[in-house]
Amino acid sequence: MLLFRDWRLTIPALLLNYIALALFLAEQQFIASDMDFFGGMSTLVMVKMITGLAVTSILSITALTFSREYGLENLDEFGLAELRRAARTAQRRQASQPFHLNDYIMPFWAGVLALFASTTLPYIYAIAPTPAADFAWYWLVFTGVLTIATASDLLKIGLGLLLCTSGIDILYTAVVSTVKEGGLNVIPLVLLSQFHILLSLAIAYLCGLLYGRLKTLELNELYKQ
Amino acid sequence: MLYLLLVLFPISMAASTFVLRKNSELVIFMALGSVLAEMLIAAQIPLDNPSLFLGVTLTLNTLNRMFMLLFLAIGGFAFVGAWNLPHGESFVPIGLLLLSQVCAVLLLQNPFISTLLLALSGLTAVLVMVDLPANTSRLVGTQAIAAALKYMVMMVVAAILMYIAFVLATIFRIGELPGRIPLSRFILALLGASFSLRLAIIPFHAWLSDLVEHAEPLVAALVITLLNMSSLLVLLVSFQTFPTLLTDNGGPLRMMRYGAMISALIGAGLALGPGSLRRTIAYLILYDCGMVFYGLSSVSSIGLAGAVFGALNQTLAVLLILVSLALVERPDGRTPGIARRDLLRRWPVAGTGLLAGGLALVGIPPLSGAMGRLLIYQAAAENGWPELLVLLAATVLALLALIRTANERLLGSGEDEVVPEPLMLGETELDRPAPRQLAPEPRSTAALTLILMLICLTVGLYPGPLLTTIDGAIRELAFIRAL
Repeated sequence: MLLFRDWRLTIPALLLNYIALALFLAEQQFIASDMDFFGGMSTLVMVKMITGLAVTSILSITALTFSREYGLENLDEFGLAELRRAARTAQRRQASQPFHLNDYIMPFWAGVLALFASTTLPYIYAIAPTPAADFAWYWLVFTGVLTIATASDLLKIGLGLLLCTSGIDILYTAVVSTVKEGGLNVIPLVLLSQFHILLSLAIAYLCGLLYGRLKTLELNELYKQ
Repeated sequence: MLYLLLVLFPISMAASTFVLRKNSELVIFMALGSVLAEMLIAAQIPLDNPSLFLGVTLTLNTLNRMFMLLFLAIGGFAFVGAWNLPHGESFVPIGLLLLSQVCAVLLLQNPFISTLLLALSGLTAVLVMVDLPANTSRLVGTQAIAAALKYMVMMVVAAILMYIAFVLATIFRIGELPGRIPLSRFILALLGASFSLRLAIIPFHAWLSDLVEHAEPLVAALVITLLNMSSLLVLLVSFQTFPTLLTDNGGPLRMMRYGAMISALIGAGLALGPGSLRRTIAYLILYDCGMVFYGLSSVSSIGLAGAVFGALNQTLAVLLILVSLALVERPDGRTPGIARRDLLRRWPVAGTGLLAGGLALVGIPPLSGAMGRLLIYQAAAENGWPELLVLLAATVLALLALIRTANERLLGSGEDEVVPEPLMLGETELDRPAPRQLAPEPRSTAALTLILMLICLTVGLYPGPLLTTIDGAIRELAFIRAL
């Protein structure tokens, strides 16, 4: 997700991230299992997988329907001409952009930096009960932040935000489950999943709006206007 | 349960109004009825009577009820303003949804849930920022999309920082990990950064200036009044829940105060610089946010009372100033595209509202901002005269900015006075075109502006009852008694 720009690669990678998150929670057993099938898993793990499926479905459907036009019947000639001009500009830019290896150098080294920080910080400032949990949340949050920092299009910013949110999801579940009094509560867990879904809806909505307006998701074009 | 009704009723009304959103008059009436019903319910809930729901405590204290009634009233005023002022197709449903989320934040005393609810309300606000009126022929502005994107990223980052801070605060024990950076300082730094993002403290202010510049004024008013001010109350709840963060942390709290002072000073300075009317208003709001944050960071009973009073004033003043701005920006029948200098003459009620709102933000008596500002100055004086001088300097700059804006845009001579030419030979009066008659201000919105001005004046002239309530609520806070 940090390296690539094509949504056909990054959105399936996001789904894999959610599956890995669910498997990690199942393996670490922060919450006791309460389901007899699937080898004794907790309901929380199922909730995380369903959340991941919902998030990636929302983003995938939005990406697949980018080319559809909505609400054109209300536009006047000036609006339609503006849309046609934007489509021509986007097409010309796409045709004139060859492959550049340089575009991948900064994300690559950002990933290396995130890996270094995620492996070192669990030993300098351990917060979660296990080093694996510490590595998981540090890694997700750092890659999320660096994805946002190196993003050139709106969808990548959204994916970065979703990665950061996954990171605090692990942190909350890992840390607060060890607290004897109070501990994990169902409402924050529900709201966390709801937040993932609403964040993906907001990202999909903004992406759809931006693509419908400028026929591209590039941030350069957005800030050039 | 009345608590659940407070939260769920606006959600159901939001769904109904969304279905009927094409019929904007009906939808506004429904929303006004919902707001009135909510205010009645909120007034009937017994104070400090906690109730448990799925392991979470729901309760309403004096301060939160006061702000809940204020937020509901602000929502009602915004819906009245939507009758004549430009707004998106889904403004009313999303406004009701925001009110529901804000009520939930005020009822729940759990910091994790409050953080997530604030984040969800931020995402909801993004939808209304890019909303267009029904059946409009114009395209959505790219600058509005950019402003919405910036707001979404900053609010999500703020929520993430806040959540990490609360997770760490849950496991924090005093005296752990001696000889290393104290965890309490790290937690306070995270909280300071996250609330600075939410409250638009410089250098995290970019979202607010873009919001006021590129979004509809009613939308900006709802976001700043409801979401910013509820963040302030969540910060108070977090101090109440984790009072150990404030003990032996004089250094970080001093840094937060300095940051707030610098934000107020730079905000006022930017307002004095050249810029559009919207930018100037945005920077004046930034200046006020800095002053309120200073009161919060002083963590004294006077400073907190000043911050809460300042928050109340900001809610009223921002709505007044943005409703007046929306009125002033209406097509006025004259040639468009020219920056007018006689806005007070052309739109007397809106022009007066702009001036009054600006003076309330700056804290000039006899308007509502004066008492809160006085309390904040007192808190600054307790911390030393240099801090007081900086705040006074910021206020002077803000006042100069307001005077400059009034001079440039409001107080100019009339521009549409046509000198009648003498009749030509053979010409009669009937041969002349009819004199141009410019439309007056819409009555309902003018009445709304006058009511808001009256409220600001009343609160400014008689702050006693409010101040007693706020003072009593502040003194009951456990961390104040502990400090």
